[in-house]
Amino acid sequence: MKTIDSKIVYERVCNALLDVNTSIDPRVEKLFENYDGPFAREIKENMNIARTSKMPLCQDTGIVEFFVWKGYNVHLTSPLKDTLEQSVREVYTGSGFRKGIVSDPLFERKNTLDNTPVIVHIFEIDKPIIDIWMIAKGGGSENLSTIFMLQPSESYENVLKIIVSHIENNAANACPPIIVGVGIGGTSDKAILLSKLALFNPSTIELLHRYDEKIGEYSQMANELQKCFSNLKIGVQGLGIGPTVQRTNVLNYPTHIATLPLAISVDCYLSRTLSVVIE
Amino acid sequence: MQEDLTNTFRQARVGEKIEYTGSMLVMRDIAQKRLVEIDKSGMMLPLDLKDQVIFYAGPTFVKGHMVIGPTTSKRMDRFLEFIISKGVIATIGKGKRTQEAELLCAKHKVPYLVTPSGCAAYLASCVTRWEIVAFEELGPEAIYRIEVVNFPLLVAVDAFGRSVF
Repeated sequence: MKTIDSKIVYERVCNALLDVNTSIDPRVEKLFENYDGPFAREIKENMNIARTSKMPLCQDTGIVEFFVWKGYNVHLTSPLKDTLEQSVREVYTGSGFRKGIVSDPLFERKNTLDNTPVIVHIFEIDKPIIDIWMIAKGGGSENLSTIFMLQPSESYENVLKIIVSHIENNAANACPPIIVGVGIGGTSDKAILLSKLALFNPSTIELLHRYDEKIGEYSQMANELQKCFSNLKIGVQGLGIGPTVQRTNVLNYPTHIATLPLAISVDCYLSRTLSVVIE
Repeated sequence: MQEDLTNTFRQARVGEKIEYTGSMLVMRDIAQKRLVEIDKSGMMLPLDLKDQVIFYAGPTFVKGHMVIGPTTSKRMDRFLEFIISKGVIATIGKGKRTQEAELLCAKHKVPYLVTPSGCAAYLASCVTRWEIVAFEELGPEAIYRIEVVNFPLLVAVDAFGRSVF
């Protein structure tokens, strides 16, 4: 049994949440280096202002989702969900990030005033660590999430077509150049989960195989999709110039003989994902 | 003065960049839903939409700044006809609207403009004043009146019905 002090988890997650909302991912900044289309100056200046003055890159600081890989023999000194929620409460109220969560989604939609609750998925692994993946997920990109329960006999070409058509029809509303995450297999919920994990950066996704060897990656399919996306003329901000999709990942999992679940998730161009490993 | 502003928006061509200085009303899904309900019930609206520029957004406040940026306009299309009927002269947001909404923009000569998304720290520097006009209890979803200086806009659907998308 290994004990990790929840205070350390709290501090590391607080720092990461502040960072993910104010410091642009260097790969995204690089992507814009040669962009000189509409709003090029505003987009680049925004990245500088946010970094230097710790202002949020986007007013939509998202609903925070956590995907936690926790050693089966790791003991935490407080319930993990409480620690994560406390981190979000502290950072979002303390830094003036937007409180954008409402309770009672269908009827009252009353603001919870501290951006909680958070969404937490915890998975057990065979390593004495805790690896916390987090995403500040904006509503505009989340509205593009979708699941198709396809027939097992569906052709590969049709699967590609379904994905490309979904992106073609909707990318303009999710702040392109977007990141496309695809999850294939498992059950409906598993496929959606995989598509969310696929939004993280490639070096983070690489760790997945170590945590769960049943999760596979269709790299060639991702490349083919990326090629199809490069023909879409949606562009930065949907205004026709520059890339539409900055990267694509496809994750897969074994499934039932009668099913072929296909889930698509999308992240906006700011790519506000980060992970912290505590050993 | 107001006539000038209406004409400036009406004459703007698709793809044209505008640096807007003036006032705007900030509102989004729930505030507009409430306005429609109030109107249907025969009561007076808590604000006058005549000659107003509407910005679809939900701000937050950091270190004395209003941090703001556009939300997806398509979700507001169901309210477009209503706000136009109340005298709105332009709408601002992000992303592509439905074809029905684009037709409304052309029919009533009410252009739709976009401002960059994911640029809230930059846009914060363009907002000089703000006040809550209605529905304060909604927090970021309340209706605000804001004053902006050199606010970056691009004409996405012009008064002639031409669309950048």
